[in-house]
Amino acid sequence: MNRTKLTILALAALFVAGITGQALAEGDIIFTEPVMGVIFSHDVHVEENGMDCEECHDDLFEMEALTAQQNDDFTMQSLSEGNYCGACHDGDMAFDSDTRCASCHIGVIGYQKATGTAERSTHH
Amino acid sequence: MKITKSQIEASKNEGTDNISSEERRHFLKMGLAVTGVFAGGTILSAVSTVNKTYACTGDFVEHYPYKPHYSMLINISNCIDCERCKKACAETNDVPSYGFRTTILEREMQHAIGQKREFIPVLCNHCNLPQCTRVCPTKATYKNKENGIVMMDTSKCIGCLSCQMGCPYNARYFHEEKVAVDKCNFCFDTRLSKGKKKTACADACPTGARTFGDMSDPGNFVYQQVHQLEKPVWVLRESAGTKPNVFYTKA
Ligand code: HEC
Ligand code: HEC
Ligand code: HEC
Repeated sequence: MNRTKLTILALAALFVAGITGQALAEGDIIFTEPVMGVIFSHDVHVEENGMDCEECHDDLFEMEALTAQQNDDFTMQSLSEGNYCGACHDGDMAFDSDTRCASCHIGVIGYQKATGTAERSTHH
Repeated sequence: MKITKSQIEASKNEGTDNISSEERRHFLKMGLAVTGVFAGGTILSAVSTVNKTYACTGDFVEHYPYKPHYSMLINISNCIDCERCKKACAETNDVPSYGFRTTILEREMQHAIGQKREFIPVLCNHCNLPQCTRVCPTKATYKNKENGIVMMDTSKCIGCLSCQMGCPYNARYFHEEKVAVDKCNFCFDTRLSKGKKKTACADACPTGARTFGDMSDPGNFVYQQVHQLEKPVWVLRESAGTKPNVFYTKA
């Protein structure tokens, strides 16, 4: 069996239970701290951009959702210094973390849509 | 990120049939024309019909009667919808969960190149020519003569909701407990009158997406951004003719 197949199997097995909710795509993680709503998609990174697990695990990230956000330095400042997502999102390997804010940031609206929680109030 | 008309047309449009008229009205009120529903109806897409720079037209560059003349400049590129502004506003101004003095709209375009969504903070535009004050039968809502803020005198409000219907920006709601219409007043009673320099929303924003400013001071950042030509600055629903004091730009 080749490596890609193994990877896909591993991913399928690991994300089979779904992470936080119904509408969230498999392998998606939404960070909620320090600010609500930053999306990370395994699909985009692994499937679409062909990255290996080792590029992120375990040097940049643990294989456990919402671990990084427990650290005080999970901030834009730290990203721009090359940590976490900033190891790649430096404007060279991937778009700079200082641009396109709403690509990573899906906000409260995005979080609620993805997790099916608290419909936005329609009361005007 | 600028989205061209052809990019919008190239993306798969599932039609506008499934948009409720309420949603449609809501977006039209914001000066956004609903162009279609994408992604199985979960995402409402809209394009701005306001593409003309309003701020620099001759009749705008005039003597402002207010001192200070409060205003706000919103940089859409910086808004990440963390909603700290909404939270700070609600805490500062006793806004119940069913209402809002400020909120965030989302515009999403699945097939856009690069960034596929943006967030648009909205609030009362503190118009120079407000419709709300014109239609209020009791003068419960009025323009403050010193600083241009559109205020509410809750004791005079009879709850007829004319102002709500007259507002092109959907910036008013009925506060059940106050038994009166409630709206943004740039935190006049809660902050400005107590010497604070910024509104709660601008103060809470972690990205500087909201800058509170003074249009009577040529040295003020918002004044300067509005009175320049290099970078587009616009207002929502210019066609309503209300001359808003909330301006928009991108990085
Ligand atoms: C581009 C970076 C990146 C790549 C490549 C990547 N991951 Fe991840 N992975 C993450 C991030 C970020 C998290 C969340 C970590 C956190 O919250 O601290 C995560 C979390 C996980 C988790 C925990 C999920 C949960 O629900 O607790 C597993 C399991 C995982 N990854 C497996 C994999 C496997 C298997 C691969 C290779 C097929 C892979 N990852 C490739 C970035 C990556
Ligand atoms: C190992 C390198 C690497 C790491 C670490 C990484 N990314 Fe990426 N990411 C990429 C590459 C490469 C792309 C695709 C190229 C591009 O879009 O510039 C990408 C694309 C994206 C996209 C664009 C998806 C789309 O809609 O096309 C988002 C959003 C994103 N990453 C978020 C994150 C977040 C959030 C983190 C941290 C939790 C992260 N990435 C960590 C390499 C990385
Ligand atoms: C590559 C993905 C990515 C991009 C692009 C990005 N961010 Fe972030 N941002 C993150 C992550 C990851 C966190 C930490 C997790 C969280 O707060 O949910 C974060 C946290 C933040 C925070 C709270 C922590 C802090 O640093 O104060 C702010 C504010 C913020 N981002 C603003 C922005 C703005 C403004 C932009 C655009 C100029 C932007 N971000 C672009 C990924 C990104």
